[in-house]
Amino acid sequence: MRKYFYLSFLVALFYSDFVKSRPVSYPGGLTLMLMNNSMKNSLHAHYSPTAKASFGYKFEYWRKNQFSLNLIQMNNLIKRWNKPDSQANFYLKSGLGNAYSDKGRFDSKNGIAGFAGISTDWEDQRYFIQYANRYTYAAEIDKFYTQSLHFGITPYIGDYGDIHTWLMMKIDHKPKFKKNFIFTPHFRFFKDVHLLEVGADLSGKVMFNYIFRY
Amino acid sequence: MKNLFLFFILFASFYKYSLANDSGSTVYAYVNGLVCDFCARALEKTIGKNDAVKSINVDLRDKIITINFNENKKLENSIIEQLIADAGYSVREITSEKK
Repeated sequence: MRKYFYLSFLVALFYSDFVKSRPVSYPGGLTLMLMNNSMKNSLHAHYSPTAKASFGYKFEYWRKNQFSLNLIQMNNLIKRWNKPDSQANFYLKSGLGNAYSDKGRFDSKNGIAGFAGISTDWEDQRYFIQYANRYTYAAEIDKFYTQSLHFGITPYIGDYGDIHTWLMMKIDHKPKFKKNFIFTPHFRFFKDVHLLEVGADLSGKVMFNYIFRY
Repeated sequence: MKNLFLFFILFASFYKYSLANDSGSTVYAYVNGLVCDFCARALEKTIGKNDAVKSINVDLRDKIITINFNENKKLENSIIEQLIADAGYSVREITSEKK
């Protein structure tokens, strides 16, 4: 299983030159998102035919319960509020595919999996705030609800092409989990088509996210 | 030496003339929702695909995009507004001179 994850990661890195932090891009835009935190590793590659929708492939590996999801994901921009100095969005996200576990009694268990959730954000050039939630169904392997709050501030405002640096905090809430609140302070670096987030939660587990948009 | 000087004068004149003829018109669009590099990239890609467009410059601080057109080419303001809407943004104003 671990071999499978590493292979997917390498494939994603290899193909990153061909693909293009939002769930939806511009018409014809490709996005690659690699997300790694204390609970899971994920890869999401999507294509946007319009600025209001995207579809693509999503892989997730939940380390504690040792199961993976292979999904086709759809993201829909329901509403965008464009203001002179800010932008706000409301998205619906959903995925459908397969769950696989190699843990204990679920050894080599396969089944239908899916998730659905919302994401809403507001940002200007100084502040950013985002709320997202999701209900995940992974056949008989697992079912759970998660939500998160993500916010940050930049100490300086740069122009297009500059390196933008953000000081950020992500709070994950997983009601079903034993440790159900996870606080992850981190840095966000943003330049052109690259977005990198690096940090660690309060127990020291690393967060590493990378987004490339083409 | 004199010939070399004359050559440079001629070359400079020709170069200036060619640049003048190469430049088309320019418009400035004031865009709502332009807050990050991904937004700038979306506008560059969506508008830059149009054959009439020679180049685009995105000013993220002032939320202005400068669109330079190819010689004898131009887009109606309504088409520029539509291209910006297709990229996911909206227009406050389009002018031929920067404010």
